[in-house]
Amino acid sequence: MGRLYLIQLDGRIYSCRHCRSHLAQCDELVSKSFHCRHGKAYLFNTVVNVSVGPLEDRMMTTGKHAVADIFCNSCQQVVGWKYEVAYEKSQKYKEGKFILERYALLP
Amino acid sequence: MGGDSDVGQPPLKRQKLSKPSHKTPCEGSRTGVAATGSAALMARSICSNDGETVGSHGQIRKVEFVRIIEQALFSLGYQQAGAVLEEESGIRLQSPAVQQFREDILAGRWDECVATLSEIGVLEESTYKAALFLVLQQKFLESLEASNTTAALETLRSEISPLGVSTSKVHQLASFIVCFPEDLLAKAQWKGAGQESRQSLLEELQQLLPPSIMVPERRLEHLIEVALQVQREACVYHNTLDHVLSLYSDHRCSRDQIPTRTLQVVEGDSLKVKYKFTGHSKPVSFVAWSPDDTMLLTCGNEEVVKLWDISTGQCKYTYDKPNSCFTSCAWFPDGKRFVSGGGDKCIYMWDLEGHELEAWKGARMPRINDLAITTDGSHMVSICDHKNIRIYNLEEKTERVIEEEKPITSLSVSKNGRYLLVNLVSQEIHLWDISAATKDLPKKYRGHKQGRYVIRSCFGGTDYAFIVSGSEDSQVYIWHRWNGELLDVLSGHSGTVNSVSWNPVNPHMFASASDDHTIRIWGLSNRPMPKKHDEKPGSSNGFDHLVNGGTRDLLENLRPFNSDTD
Repeated sequence: MGRLYLIQLDGRIYSCRHCRSHLAQCDELVSKSFHCRHGKAYLFNTVVNVSVGPLEDRMMTTGKHAVADIFCNSCQQVVGWKYEVAYEKSQKYKEGKFILERYALLP
Repeated sequence: MGGDSDVGQPPLKRQKLSKPSHKTPCEGSRTGVAATGSAALMARSICSNDGETVGSHGQIRKVEFVRIIEQALFSLGYQQAGAVLEEESGIRLQSPAVQQFREDILAGRWDECVATLSEIGVLEESTYKAALFLVLQQKFLESLEASNTTAALETLRSEISPLGVSTSKVHQLASFIVCFPEDLLAKAQWKGAGQESRQSLLEELQQLLPPSIMVPERRLEHLIEVALQVQREACVYHNTLDHVLSLYSDHRCSRDQIPTRTLQVVEGDSLKVKYKFTGHSKPVSFVAWSPDDTMLLTCGNEEVVKLWDISTGQCKYTYDKPNSCFTSCAWFPDGKRFVSGGGDKCIYMWDLEGHELEAWKGARMPRINDLAITTDGSHMVSICDHKNIRIYNLEEKTERVIEEEKPITSLSVSKNGRYLLVNLVSQEIHLWDISAATKDLPKKYRGHKQGRYVIRSCFGGTDYAFIVSGSEDSQVYIWHRWNGELLDVLSGHSGTVNSVSWNPVNPHMFASASDDHTIRIWGLSNRPMPKKHDEKPGSSNGFDHLVNGGTRDLLENLRPFNSDTD
């Protein structure tokens, strides 16, 4: 593999459980009250060291959304998803933000 | 100016003669001096429909055109030819007053100069005064040098001061009176009475007076050089070493001036492994040759820095710090010192014996991702905090920070030390000017793919006219530096192209390294393969960013390339 480019963050951070690469800062946390298949999930404004997969429409508890899965750059595991489009007005605030599953995060 | 006795003249010309509004048309066969038929032919062809302008676009005024041709003839030494042209066309290079003025200056007849100056065309008040000042200054200095102090004083009093031009200069001139004539030349920075100083006075006056009165020297040569320059810059594929362009046809290089063909694919076993350096415990991520090619610096991914000697293959020194996590290093051009920086937020400067010479630390010093030093050793560039480029001037100890919006993956500086290239995660390459004090927008190059890996790019070609970069889609991208146009996309690799390096001495060759475990050497497509490649596979000196896998050994199979390839 070539040399991976990983961004290092300062302060209190969440990292990927498998490869310990930094994913997001605590300051970027928006909400802790999300759920996914495996349990709890957090909503963040920005995350780093992830790459985005293909866009698809999914039906979620809050309605239909267009989301794309995100993968950790170094270990290729799915760590959550990104909201691209929210079809309901009340859910518009999520657009452009990222969900990271609690299961995939450290600490 | 009759000409009606010339039977041979074409009817077109005779018509023109009858029109009084036109200026003097070219009268080919009028003069008796050497005006041959060819001159008449030329004269006829120059006169286009409109007698005022020349050229297919009608942008060149005929009077000006003829005048600068005459000037070129005179300056080349063809006095007779120039005089003939003046007679034939009836357009004089300079009016008689100006002619007189020039001769007076060169002969040193200052009073006549002053008188003629007022006769030369219409001048603005300030220009007239400034010109007068220059002439009188010369007169003053010459009389001082001849130790004719009274005359000089007289000039200063009665002629220079009343002008009211620049009193500080007048004071300076007054101070020269008390100098010895020998010191005068040094103090006034004046070359002494004689042709040389008078010639330079003439040039100064030329710059002052409007160009229609006195045509600036060497005007035709200047215009042609400007045109050649424009052609050269417009030619996107220009990559030749010779500087003299032909005047006969417009200059346009064809596409085969840039390397587009793979000359050689270097795989794992085809190069002779000279040494295997072991010792790093983490993947080796950065390699730098010393400027004299005898030593190699290697740097792990957040690890120690090791210095290796090429001739013996031994590790000369290991540079360690308590929490060492160095990510990159750069040599100084003298080959005796280098800097290294890393995640512990400090930049250290070391020498070859292992002593730490200097350290830049502090709370403000953020994490360093990449380092580079310009080839003249004056600036140190570093990438801090993923998004900032810090250009630190080593002599003046000042710094300048450029902020980018997206994280930067790699950095490279051009060999002339003026430009730097950064690759961004957002799939753009930005070109910044180091020396410019203004914060201009950078030039941007797009088209390649980048997102996860560190991809390196570099400058290439004569005059660093090309930007070449690797990409995650296994192709090599070449852009033209000035207009940002994507010139070529080269395929051939089957994995991410991590790093490229252009041969510093041969502008038609570069190398690229990729994740498919090969190195490719690229050259021109229509040249036969040069023999040297068969016997001595190896990469050029500039190729100091090697693809590194997750191995613990560094495959040391690069020998310095001979620079005497064709």
